[in-house]
Amino acid sequence: MKQFALWLSTTSPSVYIQEHNTWAIPVIQSIHIVGIALVMGSVLMIDLRILGWAWVDQTLRQTTNRFGPWLTGALWLLLVTGILMVIGEPVRELVTFSFWLKMALVAIGALVAVVFQRALRRHEQHWENTLVHNRSIKALAIVTFLIWVCIIFLGRLIAYDHVWGSWSPSERQ
Amino acid sequence: MDIASILDWLQQTNLAVHIRDSLFAFPLIESTHVIGLTLVFGTIAIIDLRLLGLASTNRSFQRLAADILKWTWVAFAVSAATGSLMFITNAAVYYHNAYFRAKIALLFLAAINMLVFELTTRRTVAQWDRDASAPPLGRAVAAVSLIIWISVIVTGRMIGFTTTRASLAEPAPVEQNLEELLGLPGDGAPSAPTDESK
Repeated sequence: MKQFALWLSTTSPSVYIQEHNTWAIPVIQSIHIVGIALVMGSVLMIDLRILGWAWVDQTLRQTTNRFGPWLTGALWLLLVTGILMVIGEPVRELVTFSFWLKMALVAIGALVAVVFQRALRRHEQHWENTLVHNRSIKALAIVTFLIWVCIIFLGRLIAYDHVWGSWSPSERQ
Repeated sequence: MDIASILDWLQQTNLAVHIRDSLFAFPLIESTHVIGLTLVFGTIAIIDLRLLGLASTNRSFQRLAADILKWTWVAFAVSAATGSLMFITNAAVYYHNAYFRAKIALLFLAAINMLVFELTTRRTVAQWDRDASAPPLGRAVAAVSLIIWISVIVTGRMIGFTTTRASLAEPAPVEQNLEELLGLPGDGAPSAPTDESK
């Protein structure tokens, strides 16, 4: 991975970002944070609807219709800006424990979102009448929100990978 | 008591010293700050898009605001508390940082913008509560709000790139080794951000 990161850092898009890093990296990171904000707002609202703490005058389907497209769009924005950050600073991103744990959680978080939206579309009445009142579904809503909270923590910890001690590949060198 | 001695006192407090000396405190506080601010912007954006008539237009504004704004305030409190903790670890440097000052000024502008809304458009909410969008002044406030909060995020991120926390021992940045390895020429400009928090 270190070899790959070093190779990536010699490619021309990477060199371009490195040469303009006084503005390029902060701007890309800021757009990434705006994307995270859209994800957090959308996930919070859908989860609050499942918990029955907000949007109770709307059906679950109406709530996901409102926030689902924003959630999906923001995740694509995060993918694009995230890839740009990896291209711009390959070693800093890829040679960390935080980054790979974050990617694993992102995969789980995105999978939960896709499975949930599909299940809701297929069994809409069952969800509206029964499942939304189900305790384990409410627990799952809280867990989902906490997964995204952990993803934010890990994203920020990429800059502080030493907190993982010997788990951090950059500490082992 | 002048500002310099207040700043100095702040960064000498036990709390500030503990955060500086800990390997974990600052990263965890900063991460919590990001969680707070993303929830602030994520929830405010829902309100602003409703005022602009771009989303949630089928819901009454009052119901939407009642659902959302309490979470915005909780998230803002978390952001303000964690932001203050980061500030005291290096108060003098942040105080003199241009991006920090711009960010604080923007936060005041956001407060004024909100007051304008509360004192004008919100007073007549009964007349437009179910309309697809707010009256012109309300839409203007919403657009200004989105611009201000995005600017708060950008200036906030720039603070991390333009300040250093000299007192905190840090491992050698990997990028430096990389530049040597690749023989990248120094171009006079600060080639790498100086803060490990980038």
